[in-house]
Formats: sequence, structure tokens, C-alpha cells
Amino acid sequence: MKPQLEIENLGKQHATLADAWLFRHFSASVTEPEIVGILGKSGQGKSTLLRILGRLDKASQGSIRLQNKDLSLWEPEAWRMTMSYVAQQPVMLPGTVGDNLRITSVLHQRPFDEKLAKDYMEQLALEHLDWDKSAAKLSGGEKQRLALIRSLLLRPQVLLLDEVTSSLDMISKQAAERLLIDLHTRAGTTLLWITHDLEEARTACNRIWFMANGQLEEDSPSQSFFRSPHSAAARDFLNHPTSSAMAATEVQA
Amino acid sequence: MTYSSFSLWFAFAFVLIALLLSVWQKLGLEKEIAIGTIRSTVQLLVIGYVLQFVFHSNSTWFIVILIVMMVTVAAKNAASRGAQLPGIFWRIAFSLLITEIITMGLLVTFKLITPTPQYLIPMSGMIIGSSMVVCGLYLNHMNRETESARGEIEALLSLGATPRQAIQGVLKRAVKASMIPTFDTMKTIGLVQLPGMMTGMIVAGASPIEAVRYQILIMLTFSSSAAISAVLISLVSYRLWFTREAFLRS
Repeated sequence: MKPQLEIENLGKQHATLADAWLFRHFSASVTEPEIVGILGKSGQGKSTLLRILGRLDKASQGSIRLQNKDLSLWEPEAWRMTMSYVAQQPVMLPGTVGDNLRITSVLHQRPFDEKLAKDYMEQLALEHLDWDKSAAKLSGGEKQRLALIRSLLLRPQVLLLDEVTSSLDMISKQAAERLLIDLHTRAGTTLLWITHDLEEARTACNRIWFMANGQLEEDSPSQSFFRSPHSAAARDFLNHPTSSAMAATEVQA
Repeated sequence: MTYSSFSLWFAFAFVLIALLLSVWQKLGLEKEIAIGTIRSTVQLLVIGYVLQFVFHSNSTWFIVILIVMMVTVAAKNAASRGAQLPGIFWRIAFSLLITEIITMGLLVTFKLITPTPQYLIPMSGMIIGSSMVVCGLYLNHMNRETESARGEIEALLSLGATPRQAIQGVLKRAVKASMIPTFDTMKTIGLVQLPGMMTGMIVAGASPIEAVRYQILIMLTFSSSAAISAVLISLVSYRLWFTREAFLRS
């Protein structure tokens, strides 16, 4: 099968420090629909990687091919509709909840799938929300779920998820995970998912990209990564008190 | 009352007051005051002689050259607020020129002014000057708004919006904000301030009614020139806030 997404020798230089790289020599590919967990300590360039893949930022070196076509040959809009970035900090567009839900159909002049929107709202426990309510007045968790639904209604083939469950309570978080896994299973959507929640990565992801030391340190199936990580940096990361505590807390909860 | 060139020298006493106050209060503005005084005096004297020459020559070419000079200086001044945007000078110059052509075209067509240098040049100066302020305000607002609404713009880009769709909300707010001062001035004119042109005409001996008639014409002209220049500059410049690859510039 032809690779869906190929990343070759990708690198990003620091904006302020000359000759310093946030990460470089990043090469990986996704050949079939997968859920890839992107792990690593803060400051390794995980969000920047997703922003580059979502064409919101420019790589300093390397190439990206989607559906066997180089990034430069794609129209930016078509690329972003195929591979869409969902930010960690949810931004509500001016207007109501309904305006935010309808935005993709307005932008692309296609019929609004109200049934699907209602279904997603229900799955993420937002069915109680009045669609005429100002989106700016929602709570942080509600905004994050609404932003996720807004992107799902675009129906991209690849979703770039930047800690999209980080500000959700446990029940909402599990509902979001279920919805995303179901979407992957049903529609074959590939998810590239940054998370600091090791339990989430362990249960939801098929594969792990572990970033450390300014590079892709490890690219392994999820089970193998958590059972026997190859690199010293990954072992250190998984044994780190903060990581273990994080995972343990999640398991207990 | 008239005064001679000699008596004009006494007007420099006002500058002396400013200088003495600056020295006394240790404001350190002496250099600024001196440069400002010399520049404004020299510039006004030069333009006075240039205008006198153009009025006497009655040549269309001189009028065109003067207007092009005004547009160039105004565009350069407004463009300094968008130095990070490649090609902004030409876009502003284009907007100012089109605004000038449309506004002056209507004034002459409707016979609101006589197409002589005495009317064309001062009116052009006022229209270009007011449009320059509108363009400068627009750039200020756009710079501030694109930064504060970066999340909104990028959220829309991530949903497959074109740069135009993504920046539309910000653009609208900037166009509106750049036009508001013109309309605010219209609301208070005559109550709070007496505009320079009207004051000048009255001082020069014209009847207040005649002066007011011209001032009304100018204010109404400003309303359309503000709208034309703000909308034009927004249409031709919004893409500059994005790179060629459609990233929002940082």
C-alpha cells in the first residue's frame, strides 16, 4: 500500500537561537489508517511538528508527502482540509455554538449535516447546549469539545490532535477518546495525537512516535514501546516519576 | 488685517516660548522643536513658491506632477506603519491614487469645484492627506488585530479556509476602525474644532458662510474618500499578512 503520509528528514530551527534546532532528521511514514501517539517531554517540538504538518508553520528542512504528492504541489486549503490541526487552546469563532458548528459547511459551501453534528454533540455530552448561546461564554472544557467537533465535521483524512483532551474532566475525556477511536475504526481516519497522558497513549494508540534529543528517538508499535522501549531516553521518560505518576493516576481514576 | 514678511519673524516668539519651557522643565525637546520649526517653515515656504509658480503656469502637467508627489510622500509615510509587509508602499500608493481620481473626478464632473490649480491642488492635498491617515490607521489596526486574533485566523485556516476567508473578520474590524475617526470628526466639527481650511478662508477675508460652504463640501468628500481608501487598501493588502505558502506571518 502506498504511504498515506511520508515525512522525510524534517527539521525546524529555533526562531530566536541561530543554528539551534528544535528537532531535525525527523523521518516517518503512515501507510494505513493509524492512531499515532506523539510523546516526549515539553519543548521537544511536538506541537511544532503538528503545526508544520497542518501547514500552519514552515519547516526549515525536509519534505512531506501526502497521498504520494509533495506538499508544494497541494493547494494549502486542500491540504488543510485533508489533514486538519486541532489546537490545544480551543479558539471559538465569533458567534454562537451553532455558528461554530456550521462553519465548515459555510466555508466550503456544502450542506450542513445537522444529524451528524447533533450525534457528535451527544457523544461528547454537549447535547444540553443551546445552539444560540454565544460560543465565547462556554466553559474551557465545553470549548475544547466544541472545537474538536468543529474539526470532525470537516471530515479530514488525518486529524492532528494537539493535547485536545488536556482540559477535560475524566468522563468527558473518556467520551472524547471513545469518539476518536470510533471515528478511526469506522471512517479510517488517521490520528496523530500529542498527549502527555501515558495511559491514553497506551490504550488508544497503535503506534508511538517518541521525540527526544531534538529528533524522533523512537517509532514503535504502542505495545512494544511501553513494554520494552529501545532508547535510553524513552526508558528514562517512562520511568520518570512524573510520567509514572501520571500513568498511575490515570489507571486509578 | 495683513502682515509683512518682516512681522512674520515675530511669530518665532511662540517657538521661543516652547524652547524656554522645554529648557526650564528639562524636557529635552529643544532639538525636536528646532528641527520641527525649521522643517515646517522651509517646507511651507517652498510649497508656497511652487504653488505660486504652478498657479501662474496653469499647466496640467505641473498639477499631475504635484499630485503624484503628494501620493508618493503620503504612501511612504503611511507605509512606515507596515514595514514588515513586502509591497505595502505600492498598494497604498495605488489606493490613494484611485481615491484621488474617483473623488476629484466626481467633484469636477458635478461642477462642485472649478478645474483650476487653485482648487485642484489644495483639495487633492486634503483628500490624499485624509486618506493617508485612514491607511495608516488601517495598518495599525491590522497589525494589532492579526496578532490578537491569531488563534481565530489559524483555527479557520485549519478548517480549510482561504486566507481571505480566514482574515475576513479581522479585515472588517480594521476597515471599520480606520474609518471611525473621520465620521467622529464630522459629528463634532464646528462644535469642538474649526477646521483649518475654514479658519484660513475666514482669516483671509472670505465670508463665514462661504467658508462653511467649502468646509461642508470638504467634509462630505472626506466621508467618501475615507470609505474608498479603507476598502481599497483592505482589498489589495490583506494577502500581505500571509506568506506565499499561506502561513500567517509572525
